[in-house]
Amino acid sequence: MFDVAFKNLWARKTRSILCILAVVVAVYLNGSTATMNNWMYETMTAELARYMGKIYVQQGGSSYPPFDSTISQATAEEILARADLGLNLEESAPLLFVRTERAMMPFMPAQAAVIGVPVGRENMLLGHTEAAAGVNRFPEAADEVTILGEQAADYYHATVGQEVTINGQKLRVIGVLKPSAMGNLDRSAVVPLPTAQRIFGKEGTVSAVLLTAGDVNRVEAIATALRQDYPVLEVNTQDDLLAEARKVLQFPLFYMSMMSLTAFIVAVAVIMNTMVMAVMERTREIGTLRAIGASRRLILGTILAEILLLSLIGGIPGASLSMPMAALMRTRLPTPMQLTQIVLFAVVAGIVGGLYPAWRATRVDPIEALRYE
Amino acid sequence: MTPIVEAHDLWKVYRMDGTSVEALRGVNLMVEDGEFVALVGPSGSGKSTLLHLIGAMDTPTRGEVWLNGRSLTGMSDAERTCLRCREVGFVFQTFNLLPTLNVLENVEIALRLGGVPASQRRKRAAELLERVGLAERMKHLPRQLSGGERQRVAIARALANQPALLLADEPTGNLDTTTGESIIALLQQFHGQGQTIVLVTHNPEIAKQADRVLRMKDGQIQS
Repeated sequence: MFDVAFKNLWARKTRSILCILAVVVAVYLNGSTATMNNWMYETMTAELARYMGKIYVQQGGSSYPPFDSTISQATAEEILARADLGLNLEESAPLLFVRTERAMMPFMPAQAAVIGVPVGRENMLLGHTEAAAGVNRFPEAADEVTILGEQAADYYHATVGQEVTINGQKLRVIGVLKPSAMGNLDRSAVVPLPTAQRIFGKEGTVSAVLLTAGDVNRVEAIATALRQDYPVLEVNTQDDLLAEARKVLQFPLFYMSMMSLTAFIVAVAVIMNTMVMAVMERTREIGTLRAIGASRRLILGTILAEILLLSLIGGIPGASLSMPMAALMRTRLPTPMQLTQIVLFAVVAGIVGGLYPAWRATRVDPIEALRYE
Repeated sequence: MTPIVEAHDLWKVYRMDGTSVEALRGVNLMVEDGEFVALVGPSGSGKSTLLHLIGAMDTPTRGEVWLNGRSLTGMSDAERTCLRCREVGFVFQTFNLLPTLNVLENVEIALRLGGVPASQRRKRAAELLERVGLAERMKHLPRQLSGGERQRVAIARALANQPALLLADEPTGNLDTTTGESIIALLQQFHGQGQTIVLVTHNPEIAKQADRVLRMKDGQIQS
């Protein structure tokens, strides 16, 4: 009965188009929230993977990334100098984090930031992230230079050899990194620590100290010792950061789920409204069909076919629109399976919204319909 | 002759706002195969109610209807639907064509409901439309037709599954006299080919053309 269903929709073009548009928007919203959720999980997981076997010390009560954390460099140096902790000093260093451009929306990362790292310790921060152009390490005695993350290069419209101005200070770009899968690094300009402290007037302070245990099995023992000796500081292992990240992500994920649920309810309501009106207007037609021998099942099938068409015609472009969203977020494009799930969202919304009008259509009595004028 | 319709002591009582309205009061009826019967009577006399009961569209409060040898008593909704599809053809006063389907499709849908294979539907629908004089209008939508043409399409649709009984409820009620006469002539033509017809009308001139006229009043057949 798809041919009859299509003709019924075509006969009420304006209403059908408006309904389809609403489905497109609802599906797009659902697809986008799914993309955002993926993006948040992926970014956070990649970020935290780098801290395996590491200890992160920052100001008590501050969040991650530690833009709002300040500890004195003297304290940082004191911790690094402690021989009893058994630290791998090649992989331990104080870091300065400064946000230079706020996030576009709450719960999203800063659009641009500066990370100050001591010269010779960049490896600890950059790890295996290769340079797309120039170098991925500071030369000895480097001062007014920077290595830009992939998105930071776009943000500053700069390439190797050019200068960027950060907080009034010109810095020469000596390298641009390949994508790292770490959102914060990709959006950052990595600068020698003393230079970063000078540019932002934060001489003598850092945001955090990143420590690497000489023996991976001693991570918890080192963390416990630091918590005892520096109660005002927050000492996090990878597990602590993961728990913290989950806590921080809880609200945005709930918010996204609510947006997704709202999109679903809107799609259900629009489809229900459209189909209830269609059934009411067509009481006589449905009654005629019943009178000339159409079964209740056939009437149900025709109405459900209309609903399926509305859902698919709205769902497929709606799901396709989530692709540019994923590209914008620089996250993985939805897989065919995920796109199918997004379209399925429209179909389920259609069926939920269409059940009542479809049931109502099957209850049309042929005699009442023929009396209907 | 074999009776196509037999009705015994038919009662139909409607309950509205706590009061009972007796639309039919003990009607007995027999229509033979190939007969053309006209039901006449004033509004509210029970003509249309009787038509609905013998057409398996409604169930009596009391009494029994036999259609082409089968009792309608105790039939499920699905069985009555099936019966309407194969044994009964309806022609309505207001034509009741499906507005989104063209003339050919309006006839084809009845064949589809009757389980006719897709490969045969178009040909049979076209043949029926030729018989009612609408060979040139098959691709037109109902709104592009005159009232008389619409009623011809409705007749073609009603006869699509070669039903044992054709029921026509005031088929000329929305037509001018000349067009109405042409519709009755068309029904006469099918009657001449052996089609059993029960027609409800207000018009005594039309009723005169039937084999038998039954006059109804206050829910009963008077003669």
